[in-house]
Amino acid sequence: MKNIIVKANAGALTNFEVLDLLNSRGASKDTTRVIASETVSRSEYKVYDYLMETAASTQTRESVTKFSDKCKDFKLAKAEILNIINLRPSSDVELTPILEKPDEREIDIEGILALVQELLPPLPTVEAQKENEQEETENDEQS
Amino acid sequence: MFCLSELEDTVRVPPSDLNLPLEVAIKKALQKLFLDKVLSIGLCVSIYGIKSIEGGFVLPGDGAATYKVVFRIVVFRPFVGEVIAAKFKESDSNGLRLTLGFFEDVYVPAPLIPTPNRCEPDPYNRNQMRWVWKYGDDEFIIDDSCQQIKFRVENISYPPVPTERAEDAKPFAPMVVTGTIDDDGLGPVSWWEACAPISDDED
Repeated sequence: MKNIIVKANAGALTNFEVLDLLNSRGASKDTTRVIASETVSRSEYKVYDYLMETAASTQTRESVTKFSDKCKDFKLAKAEILNIINLRPSSDVELTPILEKPDEREIDIEGILALVQELLPPLPTVEAQKENEQEETENDEQS
Repeated sequence: MFCLSELEDTVRVPPSDLNLPLEVAIKKALQKLFLDKVLSIGLCVSIYGIKSIEGGFVLPGDGAATYKVVFRIVVFRPFVGEVIAAKFKESDSNGLRLTLGFFEDVYVPAPLIPTPNRCEPDPYNRNQMRWVWKYGDDEFIIDDSCQQIKFRVENISYPPVPTERAEDAKPFAPMVVTGTIDDDGLGPVSWWEACAPISDDED
């Protein structure tokens, strides 16, 4: 059975868009999910788990669209904008490996970092996840 | 690291699924065929949507209905130069192996680990070797304790299926991503935490 690839690249997706897709299918952090869910397979859940630990888990569609619009002022390549949205760098040293030859192109690194800080929600932290777990146990005790 | 791809294929819906709505039955058959499989374009992660369905003929001698379907899938295919955060999986004398949970064949070969470095037998795990980076007077160990390791994609290869293999060889990896951690901001995230991030408090 030979399958024909009509278009190998019909559009790049940010991590956020893939996470949004899985969410709309019914993926969640609930531990009973793997057994109960019929719409999301186990391998898709592995992708979901990975993405929930990245910047994508705190992003919203508006913040991502607004950010990529504003990025046009900074003369960045599409791949670089995608990388920045996926990683949400918060310092110079995190941003430089993403950019190609920043010095030769006179990229405004400070400006980009300020825009990231302003428009993209902060990364999910391990402490925040632990706090959520504590909140859940407190709720259980109360009920 | 993900992108959409459009494919056209002939799909066979088994008789047991013919009572389901057509789209559901075809999606089920597509998932079985493509999910978690590596194609020439990358690792198929999810079925995005069906564009068109044609046919539905039942071939003689077969109880199943055959359809010609045009559909889009989400593939994992990082591009060269992309920076990805991964977790440590194992290391040996050839280099490191990192994992993304859903994809476990990311290799950082020894030449792409920042120098000067040395490789020593892991005191905690007798079968593994441990890599240590020496920077100035400090030594940084690369092992399980690193929460996240960022690497930049250097190359993606799709090795052909081997016809013969040694008994104890690693399971065949149809898609291998080679990465580097030898640059600013790459490697275990804890190495760069000392560099202060921009915060609003400064104003």
